[in-house]
Amino acid sequence: MAPLLHLGRRARSGITLAAVAGLALAACGVGGGDDGSSSDDSSGPITIGASLPLTGEFSQPGQAAKQGYEVWREMVNADGGLLGRQVNLTIKDDASNQNTIVADYNALISQDQVDLLLGTFSSLLNLPASSVAEKNQMLYVEPAGGSPEMFTRGYKYLFFTQQAPVDRQGEVFANWITQLPENERPTTAAYPTLDDPFAIPTSQGIEDILAKNGVKTVYRETYAIDTKNFDTIANEIKAADPDLVVNGAIFEDGVGLIRSMLKADFAPQWLYQSTAPSLGAQYADAIGAQNTEGVMFAISHAPEAKTPGNPEFVAKYQEMFGGLPPEDAADAYASGQVLQAAIEGVGSIDDQAALADWLRDNQVETILGPLSWDENGSPEGDFLIGQWQDGQVEYVLPNDVATTDHIVMGWKPGDAS
Amino acid sequence: MEPFVQNLILGLLLGGVYALVASGLTLIFGVMRVINIAHGAFLILGAFVSYTVWNWLGFDPLLCIIATTPVIFAIGWVVYRVIVSPIRDAPMSSTVLLTFGLALVLEAVMGFIWGNNSTSVRPSYADESFTIGELFLPKAQVYGGLIAIVVLVALHLLLTRTWLGRAIRAAASNPTGAQLVGITISSVAALVFAIGIATAGAGGAIAAILYPFVPGSHYQWIARLLAIVVLGGLGSMGGAVLGAVMFGIAETMTAAYISPAWATAVPYAIVFAVLLVRPQGLLGTKLRDDAVAA
Repeated sequence: MAPLLHLGRRARSGITLAAVAGLALAACGVGGGDDGSSSDDSSGPITIGASLPLTGEFSQPGQAAKQGYEVWREMVNADGGLLGRQVNLTIKDDASNQNTIVADYNALISQDQVDLLLGTFSSLLNLPASSVAEKNQMLYVEPAGGSPEMFTRGYKYLFFTQQAPVDRQGEVFANWITQLPENERPTTAAYPTLDDPFAIPTSQGIEDILAKNGVKTVYRETYAIDTKNFDTIANEIKAADPDLVVNGAIFEDGVGLIRSMLKADFAPQWLYQSTAPSLGAQYADAIGAQNTEGVMFAISHAPEAKTPGNPEFVAKYQEMFGGLPPEDAADAYASGQVLQAAIEGVGSIDDQAALADWLRDNQVETILGPLSWDENGSPEGDFLIGQWQDGQVEYVLPNDVATTDHIVMGWKPGDAS
Repeated sequence: MEPFVQNLILGLLLGGVYALVASGLTLIFGVMRVINIAHGAFLILGAFVSYTVWNWLGFDPLLCIIATTPVIFAIGWVVYRVIVSPIRDAPMSSTVLLTFGLALVLEAVMGFIWGNNSTSVRPSYADESFTIGELFLPKAQVYGGLIAIVVLVALHLLLTRTWLGRAIRAAASNPTGAQLVGITISSVAALVFAIGIATAGAGGAIAAILYPFVPGSHYQWIARLLAIVVLGGLGSMGGAVLGAVMFGIAETMTAAYISPAWATAVPYAIVFAVLLVRPQGLLGTKLRDDAVAA
């Protein structure tokens, strides 16, 4: 068919503008609303600002983190507030965009003049956001930015509120694999990994341990964040025929890879993924509950844990949002707990350096367990390892906190009831 | 040889879906000179409508296209009449900015209605494949590709074998002349815009069973679609199909033979390379004013 329209030079100028607009669409986000404003009045409410990926690629965990912050605010205020002052949250939407989040945190500090900050979701976004906080000498307690890069910059106001940085996230799993009997231990592994400062060190940390213990790497590739189609990647992994697939993922990419492996009729003996399997029912809906059986993952929080305050957190979450809290909500809540501990420990919010010093010197009891940090704000504990069993998440490692002594030996798609 | 054939098949199937969605974008531009930045957002709207029908009524999401396409068509018609039509004669940059804003509004509306959690549509065949020897053909992609072919052929027949199609082509190539012979340009434009949006909606129903989506997923789509229609030659339906297939194959071959990390970048590099040689795109037509120095 002949072209419907012959284009002239002016038309192409418009096309250029459109292309720029298209790229801008990919690079920009939508600002969010707020529910509070700062006050210089020392008896008025304390305003805490954060920007979260409520839309875009990371909206799934971003929404959960917002819920966690809101549960913390409700519980703190019901308990009399911080230093006797009510807590307001100002939460913006960074649309999962690195440029937007810089603008958001600058606006929180200079325009909204919030009293304190809380962090965002993902290392990708926390990297620039924490730089803004550091430059302004404001305490930055964050729930989901555990990339090693976060802690090599010598920042003094940054604290990560999970048990360990991400390069150690799969350490418990990898060590367990190396101790399996020889006839059950995988001998080859594939590491398809999202090009992301969280996902890469996660899978790299596991590979380092497994490779030292004789598990041969037969596939290691990173894929771009806007990868939609995983059929080719699944086909390449299938051709490499690994016993174990370690997928450094966030959510949609993890779901996409599993669905493509199923389409390619390929199920490795073992499957470990980061983040995606921790999102509970949303994960089961996305890949099919019957295909979850045996998937293993690291997780920072167990709703069943008997850590101080955890039953109350779970009950409040259920009251406010229904269902069990996802991991990202719990991590955000723990960030609130850490911030609260520092404020109550110092007895003031005026000196942010004093708050940071207090956290470096003290251990904080949270719903994730006790947290402490090195001088760079990197936590010094161990993650839990979860596994999907019969359509539910069980915590299988370490043994002392496991919710079951049964571990499904491998990934068995189609087997869950 | 087998892995190459497998990747070629996967690329063709991917290109088929791209072609369906890109055809609407190039059609709208061809007739109206409107570069619809909101096209990806309408695709995601189609995905959400498909999800709702599948989730509530249990109907097959691909069969739902028969029911959902008229709905998306009607939405497109209303959007044109209310939002696009008043500035149709404005400079192209104005319509770009308008549809840019429309995309953001649609994203917010979808987030309000369906939430910003990832959504998946999984009919029973979503993760199954046909097998031919060692080759696998994902059923969802095959069905989606077949539907894309049917819609594209229907669109081709509409444009080349019907009075409406002649009116559309006349309006595209010579609006003044078309008006002289009794064609109401504004009505043709509304129909074309609605048809273009409807193809995005149909593409959205197919995309919904292939990939999880959130309201913000349209960012990824519009970047690809603009590249495809520019590669094929803006305003050329055949060019859109050719560009889409090339783009799909380039993505899969890059993932297989270079690195998945480059799978989304290399196709754009190919677009740049082609435009250096043929600024009008593969099947676009070069005009005299292109040769005149600015």
